[in-house]
Amino acid sequence: MDDLPFPCADICNAGAIKIDGEYLLLVTIQSLEGFYSIYAARSQDGYHFTVEDQPVLAPTSQGPRAIYDRQGTLDARIVPLDGHYYISYDALGRHGYRLGLARSKDFRTFEQLAYVSEPDTKSGTLFPRKIKGKYARLERPWEGSSIWISYSTDLEYWGWSEVIMTPRGGFWDCDRIGVASPPTLTRAGWLFIYYGVKQTSAGPLFRLGAAILDARNPAKVIGRTNVPILSPREDYERIGDLPNLVYSCGIIIESTGDVKLYYGASNSCIAIGTTTVETLLAACLEQAGAL
Amino acid sequence: MSAQRKFGNDVLHRWEGNPILELEDIPFPANAVFNGAPVKLGDEYLLLLRVEGQQGYSFFALARSDDGLHFRVEDKPALLPASKGPFSRYESRGIEDPRATFLDGTYYVMYTAVSEFGFRIALCKTDDFRSFKRLAFISEPGNKDGVLFPEKINGQYVRLDRPIGLGIGSVWISYSNDLYSWGNSKVLFSPRRGYWDSFRVGASVPPIRTEYGWLEIYHGTKMTSAGPIYRAGAVFLDLEDPSKVLRRCQVPILSPREDYERIGDVGNVVFPCGAIVEPNGEIKIYYGAADTCIGVATTRIADLLECTIEESDP
Repeated sequence: MDDLPFPCADICNAGAIKIDGEYLLLVTIQSLEGFYSIYAARSQDGYHFTVEDQPVLAPTSQGPRAIYDRQGTLDARIVPLDGHYYISYDALGRHGYRLGLARSKDFRTFEQLAYVSEPDTKSGTLFPRKIKGKYARLERPWEGSSIWISYSTDLEYWGWSEVIMTPRGGFWDCDRIGVASPPTLTRAGWLFIYYGVKQTSAGPLFRLGAAILDARNPAKVIGRTNVPILSPREDYERIGDLPNLVYSCGIIIESTGDVKLYYGASNSCIAIGTTTVETLLAACLEQAGAL
Repeated sequence: MSAQRKFGNDVLHRWEGNPILELEDIPFPANAVFNGAPVKLGDEYLLLLRVEGQQGYSFFALARSDDGLHFRVEDKPALLPASKGPFSRYESRGIEDPRATFLDGTYYVMYTAVSEFGFRIALCKTDDFRSFKRLAFISEPGNKDGVLFPEKINGQYVRLDRPIGLGIGSVWISYSNDLYSWGNSKVLFSPRRGYWDSFRVGASVPPIRTEYGWLEIYHGTKMTSAGPIYRAGAVFLDLEDPSKVLRRCQVPILSPREDYERIGDVGNVVFPCGAIVEPNGEIKIYYGAADTCIGVATTRIADLLECTIEESDP
């Protein structure tokens, strides 16, 4: 929080993308009043970031959108698609969470497109390309605590929804799961990071896992990690407003195959972890036979 | 034939022969019958019934009548939960609460599909209520009480439904160009603090075109220490832009008062699922009572209009 040019209550998490050598995060920050806005942060090396002093997406207090986002716009997930960067985010109003869609070409001006879900649906991301002629998205409706996929011909009207991944009894992701990073097409299929929650007597324990979906039919799970790829262990992951939480909205894959995972820790700071695409694929596929 | 009216405190008048269908009228073993969708096909009244089987999951049966009051239930169920194919995954715990709308020359039936993944809205169509063609699931989980408008509005199909957000159950409106993909969703009306509909509201009867706007008969609940009380209410929506509520009732139009509405598997429930507008202007509203039987009550548009007041901020 000391890195910010303004006071705030929390730094929650960040969507990430690399454009022409510049690293860009869209960071969710909670104001001292308690509302959530999304700020851009930029870096040349992926490690040292400067946060802009004005939000790029913020709650509205007037007009037709206000009823749906008065309390917050949060958890941006970025994909390049059709010559734009599309940003899916959670809008929070008194009727609950719904998915919002915005787009930008330069991350300086943003166009808010539509709310594309009814409540309570959050943790949504688009796929970075059409699949069989349709746009596709992943998301987490509250009911059932599972990850679903939906399709659209125009990004405005959505249907053909299917459940693709559910919490696993007894596992670290036994109580609810949701998409963390947007899916990336790899040699094995669509790779993405997800979060899993185990509810304990002291509250939820948020960890991260990874999964692979079939490249042609992403409703089919090819592989899923049996164990977390990241768990809260450090003090900054254990201690904060939401203790014992690691939660991601984005990864950046370098041309070398190295992966930079940007994650929120305890809703109080943003951290980075690194791995490789091959390591993630191997972790997902290792247990595929057991799925 | 007009129903003999029984007058009372409610805007709706119960037929004195209520309930019109009970468990004893079902020609096969079942646990309860409730929440039926009525249609008038030629001179015949059909009622697509939600029947709860003895295993505990629900399916649909069909009842027929010449007068809309005396019904005979067919021997075989009309539609069972899908047991194979792509629909079975989301109907493994039953199908519930059908609502029928005549549109584009066929009947569309929206119902609630129940599975381990939650409840969601399904859409099927039929011409004769003997064979049904399932089209699609049209909501994500956590959504029910879908009703389809009987006309396209501004070139689009329109539905009402009831998602749950932060525990609040409001009625929402959504639009579609193809009946499969839906969007442009907006909240339409919400529970009112302190009122009889303070806990949850949901669409009940498919909207009816009137000269005063689209009439939507909805259900509202109030939570008590003994559980929810389900009552019926009415709103009028703008004909051109149904996302605008023009008028809303202050008081319920029907409340559980009779023994068959008070006593049953889920006591203190009246839950309309459909209505028939007769040529003489009478509206017959069919409702599930106490999740155990079905009743019918009648009213007129003018009486419903009278019990509503203009919304201050449509």
